[in-house]
Amino acid sequence: MQWKRKDLLGLYDLSAEEITFILDTAAEFKKVSERRVKKVPALRGMTVVNFFVEPSTRTRVSFELAEQRLSADIVNMQAQASSLLKGETLLDTVKNIEALQVDLVVMRHSATGAQNFIADRLKCGVINAGDGAHEHPTQGLLDLFTIREKLGGFKGLNVSIIGDILHSRVARSNIWGLLKLGANVTVAGPSTLVPRDFEEIGVRVCHNLKDAVANADVINLLRIQHERQNNGFFPGIGEYASHFGVKTATLEWMKPDCMIMHPGPINRDVELAGEVADGENSVILEQVTNGLAVRMAVLFLVAGCRK
Amino acid sequence: MSSCQQLFDAGAMMDGVRLLGRRIAAHFAGTDRKIALVGIHQLGVKLAGLLHAELKNQGYDADLGMLDITMYRDDIGTRSMLPRIHETVIPFDVNEKEIVLVDDVLSTGRTIRAALDALTDYGRPGVIRLAVLVDRGEPEFPIRADFAAFKVDLPAERKVLVNFEAVPGMEAGIFDVKWQNKQ
Amino acid sequence: MSELLLKNARIIDPARNIDKIGNIAVADGVIVEESALKDPEVIELAGKVLSPGFIDVHVHLRQPGNTTAETIASGSAAAAAGGFTSIVAMPNTNPSADTAGAIEYLRRIAAEQAVVKVLPCGNMTKGGKGEEMAGIGALKNAGVVALSDDGKCIQDHGLMRHVVEYAKSFNLPIMDHCEETTLAAGGVMNEGKWSVLLGMNGIPGASEELIIARNILFARQINWKIHMQHVSTRESVDMLRRARAKGIPVTGEATPHHLTLNDECIKKFDTNYKMNPPLRSEDDRLALIEGVADGTITVIATDHAPHTQTAKLVEFDHAPFGIIGLETALPICFTQLVASGIILLPQLIAKMTTGPAEVLGIENYSLAPGRPADITVFDPEAEYTIDKNTFRSKSRNTPFDGMKVRGKINLTVVDGKIVFREGC
Repeated sequence: MQWKRKDLLGLYDLSAEEITFILDTAAEFKKVSERRVKKVPALRGMTVVNFFVEPSTRTRVSFELAEQRLSADIVNMQAQASSLLKGETLLDTVKNIEALQVDLVVMRHSATGAQNFIADRLKCGVINAGDGAHEHPTQGLLDLFTIREKLGGFKGLNVSIIGDILHSRVARSNIWGLLKLGANVTVAGPSTLVPRDFEEIGVRVCHNLKDAVANADVINLLRIQHERQNNGFFPGIGEYASHFGVKTATLEWMKPDCMIMHPGPINRDVELAGEVADGENSVILEQVTNGLAVRMAVLFLVAGCRK
Repeated sequence: MSSCQQLFDAGAMMDGVRLLGRRIAAHFAGTDRKIALVGIHQLGVKLAGLLHAELKNQGYDADLGMLDITMYRDDIGTRSMLPRIHETVIPFDVNEKEIVLVDDVLSTGRTIRAALDALTDYGRPGVIRLAVLVDRGEPEFPIRADFAAFKVDLPAERKVLVNFEAVPGMEAGIFDVKWQNKQ
Repeated sequence: MSELLLKNARIIDPARNIDKIGNIAVADGVIVEESALKDPEVIELAGKVLSPGFIDVHVHLRQPGNTTAETIASGSAAAAAGGFTSIVAMPNTNPSADTAGAIEYLRRIAAEQAVVKVLPCGNMTKGGKGEEMAGIGALKNAGVVALSDDGKCIQDHGLMRHVVEYAKSFNLPIMDHCEETTLAAGGVMNEGKWSVLLGMNGIPGASEELIIARNILFARQINWKIHMQHVSTRESVDMLRRARAKGIPVTGEATPHHLTLNDECIKKFDTNYKMNPPLRSEDDRLALIEGVADGTITVIATDHAPHTQTAKLVEFDHAPFGIIGLETALPICFTQLVASGIILLPQLIAKMTTGPAEVLGIENYSLAPGRPADITVFDPEAEYTIDKNTFRSKSRNTPFDGMKVRGKINLTVVDGKIVFREGC
């Protein structure tokens, strides 16, 4: 196949073939970062704007590094959704960016669908770096890449995603990608954060940690945000940790070679005990490494699809 | 394609491959340098494999790598689609080595330009040579083949197509192709 | 004054249970016997449907406060083009219609500029804030026909009870926007499969249903009329059905969009599908249709909510709720409900005439001689594509643009005067 999209907005829209194509491309870009010269001229002369309407450190650094390794010129822009609301509209802002002959906009936004909204109205390419609780496609892809690299494939694989599924764009991108590639997906956590409605999109819902991890080949733990506690989704971080946090003792319920993933940043000893995060089942740092390769691949493919 | 004329049949083509192998071997003969072949995707990789086997017949155990130059192209963003990236494998240390880049046809030289950039990002080779099956003789860059089996003089709008293996509808050999709807 | 003879139309007059081919005569602003006419203008209406003028009990005119989106003049022109002869203006303008002065302003501008009857609705509470009761007696004297805090909902049940009791003593019906705000907080669409799929904050059906239940309890206890605006869920319809069966004086309205669209529409992030209450699930939509068909829901109202393109052309989360509906109500309902065989044409017309009249306490809303000549004529066979650029409304926020429909308004007559005429 050949890549034909000017934007990457989410995994929901992609076919299994397209996802596999990105992963294959990323495998070659991973090697670039292992060389002495960690840079290729692929995007030389192109300008990429990293437009973050929501604070981010890791994703932005990973994208920036990916862009540098592709020899692109980079501009970073940061804004608060609230100030955008009062002044210039989002569409005006991005139209102004585009008028500067920018080739790609990498965008994060707190509002679901903001990237879909602007991508329809811009000629330049748009890469979604996370929109609301909707999608975080490059995180989903790097998780898929890591699973494929370690376990070889997805058919029949049992993957459990544990945590605040309701508010997680990482969970959604993972769910779409895993389902399309043939894995069995379980989402787990307290029922306030993992509503039954998820069953309607083809995943197993469970509210018990032991049940969630027992048959899993991979568990992917999501960061618990403290603000959810204030909104009454659960009584407290301590209670969450005791019922849904993965600890050394949890390993006894799991397959011995079960792979442990986390998109970071980790709340140590909340959703994941420090010694497990650093243990031999953990691939958390490899995820970070793979994130760079996946983002290089996505930037390369989207930038290459002009005209 | 509107016209497709065979320049060399399969037998002549394979004679050319063997000739190329002998020339490379002759170049390295009497030195203690190990031959290192790096094929450029996709037909250069195929040719490098054939040369590797030919050199083996002649008693040379050559190193063999393959290189994808898609990331080094100078036309990214000007095409509607990108070709698939193939695997790059350089299973030896390129530093200080004499490396023979292998491609099927030397035409404009742009592929070789990209391959030189790609290869030098893996290290600092001592010498880089270029081996091609067909040399069209009129490159757009100052790039020349060190080893070539055939010289073909054709107008620039014609394409030389190398087909190593017969497929339904197309026999093996080297062809002069005139595209019908160029553009 | 001029005379009209509207000839050979299919006359549908739900109050008198009439559905026949015939003529309607108008003189001096009222309907008269044909024999009373001297030199009428004759309009041939063979093949067209003629009914009492449509009433929309739920319209936002945006004046004063946001006249870029709509004015009393443009909104009333849109109403005329949509076949509405009377519209009830919601009080959530800026400033709110919570004082006699605000109502007098509305009536004065309407008298000067409006082409249809603009009936004022006053706030239940000051500023619609749900904290202090508005001067309901003064509003009554100024001419309001109903009370509502539409757009918001009184959360203090004690206050709501007093408002209903007090409104009863002034014979003013309550029209309530039913929304429990702690459940709805932060929500932008229906809570369910699609909100989970898209990762958007949901507004659960229970937010509406809790307040419907409350209002039914108050309507029974106080024995006073409470009209539930834009009912949107199956459970709401069920509660309304049971309450009405018990004789409790509650009514409910459905909007054309809740009857024809569902929450799946939001997957493209088009803000013209963002409204409050949100588009619900397909099951809820079917329940609304059942409610319309079995008489539980007696009113179709548009909740015409104009917003400028600037306001709507933003991220879905940040867009205001609401769409316009006056100029699409008839074709959408006719195409989706009547032409598709779900309800009969006289039923649809009743929901747009006698049903709303009953909510407002207008008796004998019909085409009987002596009645004000408020008349709507439309062509049930005309097929066309909705084009928002032809709208009289100042706003364009509709999800129905480009939709193929059947049923075109030809003539709108208010007090004997033709205020809209096209194609007859």
